Amino acid sequence: MNETLDPWDRALLDALERPLVDDEATAEPLTLEQLAERTGISSVLLEMLAREGLLRARRQDPEPRYDPADAEAVAAGFELLEAGLPLAELLDLARRTDEAMRPIAAQAVEVFARFVRDSVEATAESEEEAARRLVAAFRRMLPATGRLVGHHFRTLLVTEAHRRLAGDGR
Amino acid sequence: MTVRRIVTRPLEGPVPLLDHVPSVVWMSEDRAMVGFGEAARIEPGRGEGRFEAAAERWEDLVARIEVDDRVGLPGTGAVAFGSFTFDPTSGGSGLVVPQVLVGRQGDRWWITEVDGITGERFLHPSGTAPRPLDRPRYAGSSMPDLLWIEAVAEALRHIEAGDVEKVVLARDLAVWAKVPFDPRLLLERLHARFPSCFTFLVDGLVGATPELLVRRRGLAVESVPLAGSAPRAEDPERDEALGKELLASDKDRREHEAAAASVGRTLGELCVHLRRDVEPWLLELDNVRHLATRFEGRLARWVSSLRLAGRLHPTAAVGGTPTAAAVDLIRRLEGMDRGRYAGPVGWVDGHGDGEWAIALRCAELSGARARLFAGAGIVAGSLPESELEETRLKLRAMMGALEP
Repeated sequence: MNETLDPWDRALLDALERPLVDDEATAEPLTLEQLAERTGISSVLLEMLAREGLLRARRQDPEPRYDPADAEAVAAGFELLEAGLPLAELLDLARRTDEAMRPIAAQAVEVFARFVRDSVEATAESEEEAARRLVAAFRRMLPATGRLVGHHFRTLLVTEAHRRLAGDGR
Repeated sequence: MTVRRIVTRPLEGPVPLLDHVPSVVWMSEDRAMVGFGEAARIEPGRGEGRFEAAAERWEDLVARIEVDDRVGLPGTGAVAFGSFTFDPTSGGSGLVVPQVLVGRQGDRWWITEVDGITGERFLHPSGTAPRPLDRPRYAGSSMPDLLWIEAVAEALRHIEAGDVEKVVLARDLAVWAKVPFDPRLLLERLHARFPSCFTFLVDGLVGATPELLVRRRGLAVESVPLAGSAPRAEDPERDEALGKELLASDKDRREHEAAAASVGRTLGELCVHLRRDVEPWLLELDNVRHLATRFEGRLARWVSSLRLAGRLHPTAAVGGTPTAAAVDLIRRLEGMDRGRYAGPVGWVDGHGDGEWAIALRCAELSGARARLFAGAGIVAGSLPESELEETRLKLRAMMGALEP
């Protein structure tokens, strides 16, 4: 851990270490075997997702530990497979989504740092207040971003499907 | 159905070959043979003896036919086209004798007609507009890919345990369309994209393959086993580097040598003279390159090309090494019947001359339905996701070739 961090940044880092799902804030990170058990999905597939970077361990402890929220995402992917999407095609979509979203994620973090974090640092009365406000902003923004991006992609899917049905009937 | 008389006469070429719907096709760099209709069919059934049984019945049939061959090249006179199942326990192996055949070798053209049927109409444009075609629509796989990656993982455990060194696992994909598929489109596209491959159609099995299992002309035999492969690159420098890497790769060289040695052993038992390339070379296709070794030999006694194909099948390229253990593993893990995919496909004439290749990169057309196949060689260090992606790309390419 970077010891030169400002106290409010260290508080933010602490918040980043905690599970991403609010109602499971107390849940312990899972090993790959536990994740497989919880989702009913084979460890061959989960290992594959981990190698592809589609499933990211939150820490090494010493073996990789996954967030309980990952179980939900994996279960969602499995639902797509059960509905008839071939795994190979889903993996291709996932890889391309990952690739396309990475620079956007980097830019979003940059925007957060520049316009939220810097302004908190400039206007907070104390270190404690800065830490509190920064963590509160992060906790609010992360789920909101999830809703926003999820909704936007759903809208895109519906629009595209509509265009296609109205266009050539395929 | 029986055949009494076969006449081959020279033709003034060139003649359009894929204008009419063919029943059988064989096209390579210097040879093209397109057959129409069906004068006879030989179905040897299942079992290890299916090649010998088919060869025996073909030789019996030939012995009773009156042949008037005014051209005298391999493939003129009596000729049968065949495809055989990968696994002896599968059904569907057979030979087909077309009623009319139009052929070319180099710039020599001929037509072969059975029992007085005139093939004149096949030499002129059909005059009918081609049927409208539909796109291929996905209809599922014998084994969902979710289970296929488990099969790959299981194969890797067997490799780690030392049961096999390499095993080729394939998967299929079923497609359908609203109107029957037209093999001509697929044949034309495959031949244009892979001119150095053998492009074939036998009983609805259509594809293009680089692997020559065996070619026989008189007592001269030839075989070019392929094993060990690498992708090609757009950038010429990178492409050249990939080729050099493949030639220098220990793992690929070992895999190749295992395949070549098994061909060498089989041909060694049959030949008085057998020479082989000391070093493997690169056989380069549009999208992939393989390590290749050419064998050339002289048979000690007369054995038909079809019987030779039966002796050489299955090679390491489509089964694995060691072959028996690999084939057994395929049967247990693959979760599908390969049918004629990865089996010998080719032709044999009345003298036993012929060419047999391995049916890779192919589709089985049956009216408005088709089954596409793709395989990947699993060795130590293979990753299920990479093998899955490799087969996805191969299957997508095949599906693309069926698009109108």
